[in-house]
Amino acid sequence: MKIPFSWLKEQVALSKTPAEIADDLVRLGHEVEGVEMPRAAVQGVRVGQIRSKQPHPDADKLSLLKVDIGEAEMLDIVCGASNMGEGDKIPVATLGTTLPNGLTIKKGKIRGETSCGMCCSETELGLADESAGLLILPADAPVGAEVGEYLGLEEAVFDLSITPNRGDCMNVRGIARDLAADAGLPLADVISHVAEVETAIPAAKVTVTAEGDCPVYMARRIEGVTLADSPAWMQTGLILAGMRPVNGIVDVLNYVMLDFGQPMHAFDADRLNGDICIRSAQAGEDFAALDGRELKLHAGDLVVCDETDVIALAGIMGSEPSGVTDTTTNIVLESAFFRPARVSETRRTYAMVSEASMRFERGVDPLMVETAMQKASALITELFGGAVGEITVCGDAAAINAGRSVSCSVARISSRLGIDIPESVDAVLERMAFGIRRDGDRLDVDVPPFRHDVTIPEDISEEYARVIGFDAIPEILPALATTAPAKVDRSIHDAVADGFLQVVTYAFISDGEQRLFVEDDGLDIALQNPISDAMSVMRRSAWPGLLNVAKHNLNRQQSGVALAEQGRLYVKTENGHDENNVLAWLMSGDVGQDEWHAQTRKADFFDLKAAVESWLAKRGLIGRFIADDSIAGLQAGQSAKIMVGRAEAGRIGKVDGDIADSFDIDAPVFVADINLDLLPEGKKAKFQPLPEFPGVERDLVFLFDKNSSSDAILNAVRSAGGKLLTETRIFDRYAGKGVPEGKVSLGIRFALQDPNRTLTQQDSDAAMQSIIAAMDKKFGAVLRG
Amino acid sequence: MSEIDSLKAQLETLQSEALASFAQAASLSELQQLRVNYLGKKGALTEVLKGVGKLPAEERPVIGQHVNKTKSALAEALDASEADLAVKAKAERIEAERIDVTLPGRSKPAGALHPVQQGLDEMTAIFSQMGFAVAEGPEIENEFHNFDALNIPPEHPARAMHDTFFINEKFAEGEHSEPMLLRTHTSPVQIRAMKRFLEEGHEPPLAVVAPGRVYRCDYDVTHSPMFHQVEVFKVDRDVSMAHLKGVLKHFLSTYFEKEVDIRLRPHYFPFTEPSAEVDIGCVFCAGKGCRICKGSGWIEVLGSGMIHPNVLRSVGIDADEFSGFAFGLGVERLVMLKEGIPDLRLFFENDVRFLRRMGS
Repeated sequence: MKIPFSWLKEQVALSKTPAEIADDLVRLGHEVEGVEMPRAAVQGVRVGQIRSKQPHPDADKLSLLKVDIGEAEMLDIVCGASNMGEGDKIPVATLGTTLPNGLTIKKGKIRGETSCGMCCSETELGLADESAGLLILPADAPVGAEVGEYLGLEEAVFDLSITPNRGDCMNVRGIARDLAADAGLPLADVISHVAEVETAIPAAKVTVTAEGDCPVYMARRIEGVTLADSPAWMQTGLILAGMRPVNGIVDVLNYVMLDFGQPMHAFDADRLNGDICIRSAQAGEDFAALDGRELKLHAGDLVVCDETDVIALAGIMGSEPSGVTDTTTNIVLESAFFRPARVSETRRTYAMVSEASMRFERGVDPLMVETAMQKASALITELFGGAVGEITVCGDAAAINAGRSVSCSVARISSRLGIDIPESVDAVLERMAFGIRRDGDRLDVDVPPFRHDVTIPEDISEEYARVIGFDAIPEILPALATTAPAKVDRSIHDAVADGFLQVVTYAFISDGEQRLFVEDDGLDIALQNPISDAMSVMRRSAWPGLLNVAKHNLNRQQSGVALAEQGRLYVKTENGHDENNVLAWLMSGDVGQDEWHAQTRKADFFDLKAAVESWLAKRGLIGRFIADDSIAGLQAGQSAKIMVGRAEAGRIGKVDGDIADSFDIDAPVFVADINLDLLPEGKKAKFQPLPEFPGVERDLVFLFDKNSSSDAILNAVRSAGGKLLTETRIFDRYAGKGVPEGKVSLGIRFALQDPNRTLTQQDSDAAMQSIIAAMDKKFGAVLRG
Repeated sequence: MSEIDSLKAQLETLQSEALASFAQAASLSELQQLRVNYLGKKGALTEVLKGVGKLPAEERPVIGQHVNKTKSALAEALDASEADLAVKAKAERIEAERIDVTLPGRSKPAGALHPVQQGLDEMTAIFSQMGFAVAEGPEIENEFHNFDALNIPPEHPARAMHDTFFINEKFAEGEHSEPMLLRTHTSPVQIRAMKRFLEEGHEPPLAVVAPGRVYRCDYDVTHSPMFHQVEVFKVDRDVSMAHLKGVLKHFLSTYFEKEVDIRLRPHYFPFTEPSAEVDIGCVFCAGKGCRICKGSGWIEVLGSGMIHPNVLRSVGIDADEFSGFAFGLGVERLVMLKEGIPDLRLFFENDVRFLRRMGS
């Protein structure tokens, strides 16, 4: 909220500069988002009076104004606003003026008509974020005067962010109280004008049936008001505090609210039907809100009603039909205390925010309910005439938050803050309006009713700490505890070590993306309030995210990508949900780049398989890749499940061509993933003595059927090779000229070794013969001559 | 001419011819052939020796000496020529093998950790070294852990500050059948870690660092709907705000690799009391005031405070006996400050040029 410096000074005699006050406010816990100096920003803007207003000959929405700014010649101004009339006084930015938005006023022609200045709105003067039309100045504004000077804008405005616990600071007096306590200065008394009661005016008739939600309600009739604009000083205050003047009554109520923090409401007495009742709403009741919305109310909403209609959603907003208008003469003023949680819940139900609800839901000062009523009635009668009736009072304001006391130990405050607490703590707290009773180490702190947030000893220590300043607390590194070093998850690091770039993508994807790789089995977890359809369901595969990243980069002159991501996948289960930790890879396009020694090539299945195998090997694991044509979204014949131990821990394969197309990727795309939660513990390599005797290497080349599985062949080789076989691998694979149709030539290399002796020719021949026989028997494979 | 003089003359001629031919030899193999021709079993010298038999016995030793002298002269000359040729041959080979050492090396694909991961790793490591144990928690949470247990009841205005993503339907999760949501902060891990710790029969001290992803329904230039936080808390007897400040100062100075000033400002969080926003002296202008710190010399980096007694009580820790501090920091924010990254969106765009640069 915005607090003008001059207004603060009405409550406490501050002698510091605005910059110093801003520092104090920060230390006290009120974040200062900015200190505005409005006067400086509107130099050259003067009070003008519209002497004539003609329509622009060539533009429906523009008017030609002749404006008097107290000089010999009238200014011709073309104006696009519509809320002004002849005789109105308005702010005029004269030629050469630079407005807060950076616009410099120059002489120019608009649709062929000369314009020598600009009439301004609050927004253009930097006084408000929004405005509807020109700022119309009070009729007594002196023509030709500097508007900044006239409006008293020659000052500083603190833009504060008040934390939700400090409802008591959402007004000038609350902030002044903190500053006064901090500086050891007295806070000005509330100057209460009291309007004399006219007994002829009937008291408002009020019943409260929802006392729990409305412990105090006060109402008062004021009759014979002649509505007019509020005075310039009040308008200035409102504008500086960020509110727009509306009409005399509303301005007075807003002014009182900004001053004391008590929101009030005014009903047009002649538009009410009978007595007022504050009760819980019935389900489905209609409410025509002041902001134009038509609501169907929920049971339990707290409402203010007359005998036929809901006239206000209590503490949030009045109704349109019961509101004050320009012709209102008799009013009923409301000042009340509504239960914060009630206002908060209802406000959230209808997504409504008002200046009143923000204060009620944080808790207002119960003892201000009547003071505000008195002050508002006095101001209204002074400014707009009329006479007041008795105040009707329901409930006992003095009972709210009465007698609250927090008992705490000085030693405990000291221990929690880490500082010694001097005797002066009493005086500090007393300045903050707390009552102090001390008994040795025991401190009984009486909490004033407006401090809804102070309930426990920790609150007291915070109050003390913020006044002395958190800077007074030393920095002490606690003794280091020793804990077993945590096992660090190296999953993504190992993938990166193999040349992959780690990416981080959102955990939510689109429904369509989800369906690319996961069948619809009703186990998706969808968001109720997604940012957009593209981010609406929790992912069950990391591949769509990786495909989007591949698309982004391949469309930006990258010829190939190798990506990896570690994150969670989310799925509903019978008992709730699972979050599986997954590592996923994607490769597409060129592997490396053309270099002086080698040309690039396109990534294929085996590039990615190598990465997965290498990653598994680093944790002492071996994966078995089992061809699987049924993996959703992967191309049959180039896809496999990855078995690690007994767990089906992952999948690998080529992304279906149509899917790749839908991501605008031309090159083949290969993806893999491993569910980290399913991986068994790997074997740690143990020391083995190096062989003392030489081994031998032999090569054999066989013709196999084209669809034979290398994995099965090598397994058969291993079991046939006997104990001496230490290593076996495929060193050559060839199909084509010289190899019969339907066959493939595989070259297999064996290493044989005996730890205890040098191998003989007979040893290796025996192993070879056994392997040749096994290949023939199991695969019908023949040696290639 | 006597027989012996004739032999001597032959030997001299042979020597001078041989030396001349050795000098002209262009290769080691040619030299080898010459060695055979002159010194071999059937070589020229052997031929000369055949004539020695015709000499009278007393003259034979004389000519024998001559032959031996010639033989060793030839052998020496051959060795010298061979050595010359070997040097020359090596020099030629070296010249032939000359390369451009300025050509780039054969590249290997270089991977890179995402800058957020690097930040998480660095931050977690600092706290691990300080004795904080690493913990994790679910990202899909219930209202109890995300709000209620953290002293944020349903009607509390602070709930509105959280812009919560809710899950479409309620599904029963253990004892809690209530609206599920994406956790808005890593603070629920406080509750889970403390409960687990107590269930395992331990008693404080307990010091935990909990890194993880969090979600807020807010998406614009300076907000990402998913981002990363690190939650840090410690519960023990006599834990004080001074300890909080000490840990913050040590962590921030270690992370930014220089002594940073810290400033705590009173603030409000429902789950801590007292609460404080933490600023660091601007790392760009050393506190003089610049565009990044908006001229204030301070940059807000995280929220902190002493754990609210209601939070301790919600898990069954005696708040009179124990106290604790807690803070939660935004990983992206700190990484941006440390690395001078101007735009949050770069992290989630995953442009490989950005990733490579930040990873090197």
